[in-house]
Amino acid sequence: MGKFEVPEIDYTRYTNRQLAAVPLAVLAFALCILAGGYVVYGTPVALGMDFAGGTELQIETTDSEADIEAAFSEEPESVQAVQAADNQYLVQFPPTEDDMAEQAESNLAPVDEDEGVVLQSAETSASFGEGAQQTALLGLGAAFAGMSILAFVLFRSFIPSIAIVASAFSDLVIPLAFMNIANIPLSLGTVAGLLLIIGYSVDSDILLNNHILRRGGDFYESTHRAMQTGVTMTVTSMAAMLVMAISAWIFGVELLMSIGLILFVGLAADLMNTYMLNLSLLRGTNSRGSPDESRRLHQGELARAAVSRVHLFLAVFHVLPRTGHRRRR
Amino acid sequence: MFYPGQVIGGDDEAGFSENQTEDDTFHNIQFGLGLDGGTQISAPVIGMTVENIELDLDDPEDLEEEAQSIQDTIGDELGTETGDLLVRTDAEHQEISVEVFTDDYTAAEFAEAIQAAGLEVSEDDVRDGVTAETRDDMETTIESRINEAGLSGTSVSQAEMDGTFYIVTEAPDMTDDELRDLLEDRGVVEIVLHYPDGEGGQLNETGLEQPDMGDIGSPSIDSETGQHYVPVSVNPGAAEDYEALMQETGFTQNPGSCNYDASDAEGSNYCLLTMVDGEVIDAHGINPDLAQSMDTGDWSSSGNFRMMTPSQEEAQTLAINLQAGELRAPLNFDEAQSYTISPALADQFKNYSLIIGALAILTVSGMVYLRYGDRRVALPLILTALSEVLILLGIAALLRMPLDLSHVAGFIAVVGTGVDDLIIIADEVLDDGEVNSRRVFESRFRKAFWIIGAAAATTIIAMSPLAVLSLGDLRGFAIITILGVLIGVLITRPAYGDILRRLMTDK
Repeated sequence: MGKFEVPEIDYTRYTNRQLAAVPLAVLAFALCILAGGYVVYGTPVALGMDFAGGTELQIETTDSEADIEAAFSEEPESVQAVQAADNQYLVQFPPTEDDMAEQAESNLAPVDEDEGVVLQSAETSASFGEGAQQTALLGLGAAFAGMSILAFVLFRSFIPSIAIVASAFSDLVIPLAFMNIANIPLSLGTVAGLLLIIGYSVDSDILLNNHILRRGGDFYESTHRAMQTGVTMTVTSMAAMLVMAISAWIFGVELLMSIGLILFVGLAADLMNTYMLNLSLLRGTNSRGSPDESRRLHQGELARAAVSRVHLFLAVFHVLPRTGHRRRR
Repeated sequence: MFYPGQVIGGDDEAGFSENQTEDDTFHNIQFGLGLDGGTQISAPVIGMTVENIELDLDDPEDLEEEAQSIQDTIGDELGTETGDLLVRTDAEHQEISVEVFTDDYTAAEFAEAIQAAGLEVSEDDVRDGVTAETRDDMETTIESRINEAGLSGTSVSQAEMDGTFYIVTEAPDMTDDELRDLLEDRGVVEIVLHYPDGEGGQLNETGLEQPDMGDIGSPSIDSETGQHYVPVSVNPGAAEDYEALMQETGFTQNPGSCNYDASDAEGSNYCLLTMVDGEVIDAHGINPDLAQSMDTGDWSSSGNFRMMTPSQEEAQTLAINLQAGELRAPLNFDEAQSYTISPALADQFKNYSLIIGALAILTVSGMVYLRYGDRRVALPLILTALSEVLILLGIAALLRMPLDLSHVAGFIAVVGTGVDDLIIIADEVLDDGEVNSRRVFESRFRKAFWIIGAAAATTIIAMSPLAVLSLGDLRGFAIITILGVLIGVLITRPAYGDILRRLMTDK
């Protein structure tokens, strides 16, 4: 059985600017995507039923997907088969006055005559969604502000605290941009995931700051130790979240799927932000860790190193859209 | 108008709750709607309110009286129906609040009507929604309606979102339509006197209202006439007034002469109308015996009265409405949110969440074992993480917290943060080779604990808005996560440190 080891990265090969460049570029890219979403749709990410209003039904019927689409007075926004159960579908509608559950019962054939067609229905009015949206924004804002204040209280110095806040911000923005690209609408579950990211992502930042600022010893030695622990932590959580997201997707449990997926992406972003952005900020202010100019590489090699890093992250992101797959029409 | 699971009478109710607990389970964990099936409806209240209107009275004792006359003036001005307008008094501050429970009027019309009563109120003082007292009132009414209908496990609460208050009703064992039926009716019950005006037409006058009724009996059927009715006894005071009204209007002299809605009987009808929410559900003439005892003035000493209904079903609904009282204001279903899940799917979700949770824990265990390759470190670590979940489940059962999918997500999040912290402890303690003394161990453990404490504090801060805000499902998630982090930091994670110390130093 192979052993999972955290690789030692030779940070002396990169300047602070080079280290920070990758996460900042990704952040800028993510912000562009969100801005684009804002310009095109009016919101940075598409709003799901919880926030925009609408109806979602989970139905069990012997009818085909085409029949399901034709069975309602309102055209479904999406029809998605549940992987783990035959004949089960999740059907979503935009906000409507009509009773979709009633139409499903009368127009579709149940699998079992004794049981109904509709297994689960959730109906949110547009105004209720609007209220939930404001409340969720308030919650996210309060959580972020609370976390920022706590960071300052814990470290009582500007740069390390700002490093934590900046990387937490980026940890939130990147999953949001990912949701935009992968066409995952914002739901209560994804908001929970985002809030959990604030909590989780700060863990590794605190760990790194603590090792570098509060312990003696060589900067790179401290960094390496912090990484040993921090990367283990984050990768373990990522694995758990990925398994949760995939299994929840198979079973059609949306809440757990969205929390898992968002956390997975957020934690991946956190790996990058902590060990590139945060680290460069800390090294910039730490005399023990000024980069050794003589060991810097040629520009060409640097570019290659940066490209391979970007590839790594692209690879991570590439696996994901499939788990968030949803047939949209 | 049918309340399912109708069980009336004390004995039956006890039997019902017994059935509920007769589960063949080996645990006492309670499941919420999402894992047990049922319906939840969150709906705002229809109405407009002006609060804190100061009254300048010479005698503070006159407040109630003044409020009544203000209510009458506003009612006349707007032309509201019974139960749609309410003036509440606050004796301490000599203030009143005015509420209207319909959306038939604009804020300007409402303000004008209040001005007509001689109060200085502008359109800007009018806000949407109703007073807190009205909402509490509605909560109580809905609760007792559900109790009257014999349904257990139901909860009613209020939630505020973006300045709007929602009444949240959760009912296991009910479908969306059934719960809606129960919440939709205001249940304003009246006995209206329908009598000739002397000029060939008919007059309507309210005789009895819900607050006038004392004891409400069970729905019954008259064995002779086959008529369904609800026996009630009218309170003293109200009974005398009613008796007098019956004499004045000529009812006592004209028993049995009711032919409601027949055009040829127009102008000669003496009908008692049983009305619910402004609709006539039954019309009957007065029984000759009753007419006689009212005429002599004997009736008011007992006040016994039968409210007639056309069917058994309506008798039951009427009894529930009488017992629970009217729903002070109607709910706005157009701005509501509703959620229904069938018990079958909820059961599936129970199994699914068990599997998903187990898979997540298995993954974490695998990763930890891969990382350390040392059973002495990995096994206690996994056991500690599991015991955190177990302790949390215990607390949830103790607090009778109904578990939902969101709580399951919280459990998984707890395992995630828990393992993070345990990894920090393990790494810190194992750092730099052997741990050969208690002192070395403790200094390392303290260092680890600073990080864990700081991380726990941030997680708690990040989650606390969700625990406070009413964002549907997410409250449970936040509460479990916060509880889990607290238990972890205070109990299980230090315990893991101890276990590790024994295993690593005693050799």
